[in-house]
Amino acid sequence: MTVITSGLPGVRRVEQIMGLPVVVDVRDEEEAGAALDKLFDWLRWVDATFSTFKEDSDISRINRGRLRREDAQPQVRQVLEHCELLRHETDGYFDMHTPNGSIDPSGLVKGWSVDRAAAILDDAGLRNYAVNAGGDMRVLGRAVPELAWSVGIQHPLNRQQVAAVIEATDLAIATSGAYSRGDHVWNPHSARAPAGILSVTVVGPELATADAYATAAFAMGPDRAPHWTARLQGYDAMTILADETVFKTGGFPDE
Amino acid sequence: MRKSIIIILLTVAALALPIVDATAATRAATRKVVVSKRFTGSLASVQQWGSLQVTIVVRKTTTISGTKKKVTRHLTAVSVPTYPNHTNRSVYINQTALPILKAEALRAQSANVNMVSGATDSSDAFAQSLQSAILKAKQA
Repeated sequence: MTVITSGLPGVRRVEQIMGLPVVVDVRDEEEAGAALDKLFDWLRWVDATFSTFKEDSDISRINRGRLRREDAQPQVRQVLEHCELLRHETDGYFDMHTPNGSIDPSGLVKGWSVDRAAAILDDAGLRNYAVNAGGDMRVLGRAVPELAWSVGIQHPLNRQQVAAVIEATDLAIATSGAYSRGDHVWNPHSARAPAGILSVTVVGPELATADAYATAAFAMGPDRAPHWTARLQGYDAMTILADETVFKTGGFPDE
Repeated sequence: MRKSIIIILLTVAALALPIVDATAATRAATRKVVVSKRFTGSLASVQQWGSLQVTIVVRKTTTISGTKKKVTRHLTAVSVPTYPNHTNRSVYINQTALPILKAEALRAQSANVNMVSGATDSSDAFAQSLQSAILKAKQA
C-alpha cells in the first residue's frame, strides 16, 4: 500500500489489486482514512471471491464444478446474471464464457467493484474523489474547488500525450485498447484480436456498464464499433481507428 | 454494415450529378456559378433492419475562366429520410445514432490532467489467460 502526500487537499492511496494498480484520490478535507480502509478491504474481498487465479475463489470453484452457481454468494450470482444480460445487449461481444467452457467475469468485475467502491466513499460523506483501476475510473466532484476533474484519454500512438480531455464532476470513464501490452481484447466471434481499431472509450453513469461496452465495442472492430456506440442509451463513446480517424458520439463530453 | 451501404449510396448519388452546361456560362473573363442541389439515393435494404435511403446536398462550384472550366463539388449535408423502423431498437437507432456520430482526425494534445484513461495498465491477466485459452482451443 502506498500513501501519497502532497500539497493537495485530501489523501491519495495506491494498491495493486486484481492485477491492477488501483488509485484512490480523495480531495475532501474531512478525514477519509476509515472509508479508504473499507474501500480497499472491499476490493480485496472482490479479488478473493472473483479471481480466476485463486483456487478457492467462488469463480474457480464454480469452474471446477465444486460450487453450483445458485449456491454462490449473492454478489457472485448478481455479477454472473449481469454478465449474461450484457452478452445479449452487446450481441455476444461481451462474453464471460471462455473457449474451454469456463466462465471468467473479470471484464465486468473491475467496473462493478469500482462502482461499489465509489458508493463506499459516498456513504462516508465524501463528495470529491476519483477511483481509478488501471485506467478505468469513477470521478465525482472537483479536483480542487475551482476545477472539475480533468481526465485525459490516452493517445494510442503517442503514450506521452492524450487524444482528448474530459472535464467531469460525476462520470465513469473506461477505455479498451490494444496498444499497451499486446492485443488483449478478443472478438469472441472470430477468436482473434480486432484489426483496424486502436481504442474505444465509453463514458456514462456506471463504470461496470461503460467498461463492458468499451470491451464489446472494441471487439466489434472498426466497421461496427462507431455505429454501435452511437445507439447506446445514457453512454457516449470515442472510437479511435488505426487510420487515425476518431469517431465521437454526439454527447461525448470532451472540451 | 450500415456504414458501407451509406457510402455506396453516396457514391451512386454523386455519380448521378448532372454536368453543368458549360455553354451557359458566358465568355466573360472569370465567372463562378454555385449550385446547391439535393440528391436522393436509391432505397437500399439493410440486413435485418429494413430499408434505408440517403439524401445528400451537394454544393457545386463551377469556375469558368475563358475556355477553361473547373468544377468542384462539396458535400454539405447528409440525411437519412427513410430508415429501418421495424423494431423498437431500429427506431431508437434512427432517432439517435445516425445523425450524431462525428468523425475527426486523431490529434495529440499535451494536457495538464488529473487522471488518464487508457488501456495502459488494464493488462488484466484475464485477457492473457483468455488469449492462451483461445490459442489452445485453436490448436486442439
